[in-house]
Amino acid sequence: MLKLQAWVDGELSKPEAARLAELVRSDKEAAALAAELTMTRGFLAGNEPEFKLPETREFYWNKIQRGIERAGADAPGRQDLPWLIALRRFLVPASGFALVAFLTVFSIGVFNRNPGAGPSTADGHYRPLVEEQTLSEHVDTISYRPRSENMFVVYIVNKDDAADDDDNDAEEMDDAVTQ
Amino acid sequence: MSLPRFFRGIRLPLLFLLVSLLGGAVAHAKELKIETKLIWGTNEEKSPKKEHEPVDEATAAKLRKVFKWKNYFVERKVTGTVPSRGSNQFKLSDKCIIEITELEGPKVEVKLIGKGQPVHKAIQEIRKGEWFVYTGDDDKHECSWFVIITELDEK
Repeated sequence: MLKLQAWVDGELSKPEAARLAELVRSDKEAAALAAELTMTRGFLAGNEPEFKLPETREFYWNKIQRGIERAGADAPGRQDLPWLIALRRFLVPASGFALVAFLTVFSIGVFNRNPGAGPSTADGHYRPLVEEQTLSEHVDTISYRPRSENMFVVYIVNKDDAADDDDNDAEEMDDAVTQ
Repeated sequence: MSLPRFFRGIRLPLLFLLVSLLGGAVAHAKELKIETKLIWGTNEEKSPKKEHEPVDEATAAKLRKVFKWKNYFVERKVTGTVPSRGSNQFKLSDKCIIEITELEGPKVEVKLIGKGQPVHKAIQEIRKGEWFVYTGDDDKHECSWFVIITELDEK
C-alpha cells in the first residue's frame, strides 16, 4: 500500500513506477485503491488551509528565538525570588515574636523581681534605687542600707532639738565658765 | 516591601504584643498587704509604758544588729491593704501616720506624716522580706522610735 501511495505521489523511480502502473492496470483492487488515494490527495491539496505569516519567515523564527533566549536569561532571577520570599515570610514573624518576647519580659519585670539580677554591691545584696525627698524644713534625714540586713533605714534628725541641744551645751559652757 | 505589606506580615505579633503588655500591666496592678509597727528601742529592761510589749526575738535580734539598743518594745501594730494604684494611711500614734501609695513598677511611695505635716517620702520597689524603717532619737528619754514597714504575703 505504501508503494502504491508513493506511486500516487510520484516519488518512485521510473522502473518502479512502470511496474506499479502495470499492477494498477491489471489488478482491480489495486486500481480501486490507487483511485481512492488519488482522490484523497486531490482533496488535501485543494482544501488544506495555508498559514500566511505577516512577516518574513526568517524574521518570524528570529522573534521566537529571541523570546526563548530572553526567557532563559530571566530564569535565574525568578529562581531567587521564591527563596527570598520564603526567608522573609519566616523572618518577619520571627522578628515580631522576638520583639514581643523582649518587651513582655521587661514589661513584666521578671529580671527586676529576681533578687540576684538587679544592681548589687560587693556583698551580693540587691540594692533597688530609692527616690527620696525630705518634705519638712524642721528635719534632716539620713538614709542608708545596713550591709548585713535586708532593710532600708531613714534616720530622722529633728533640727529644732539639735538647735536646742546646742543652746543647752552653750549654756552649760557659760555656766562652767562663770563657775 | 511597602509599609502596609510589612504590617500585614507582623499583625499577629503586634496583636500578641498588645495583649501581653496589657496583661503585664494588669498583672502588676495588685493590692498590697502591708504591716506597720511603731517600736521603741531602749537599754532599759522594761518600757516606761506598761502597754508596750517586747518584740519577738527574731525582730529584736535583727534590730540589735543594726541599732545600738538592747531591748525593743512594740507600741502599736497596724495591718492593712493598699489598693492597686491607690493609697492607704496607717495611723501608728496621734502624731505619726504612714501613707503608702501603690505605683507602677511595681513601686510604692512611703510618706511619713508627723503632727499632721509631711516629713519625708520615698519611692522604691516593694520587695517581700525587706524592711523599710523610719527611726529617730528621743534624747530626753534615751531611747529611739522605729516605724517598720513590711509587705506581708498575699492572703
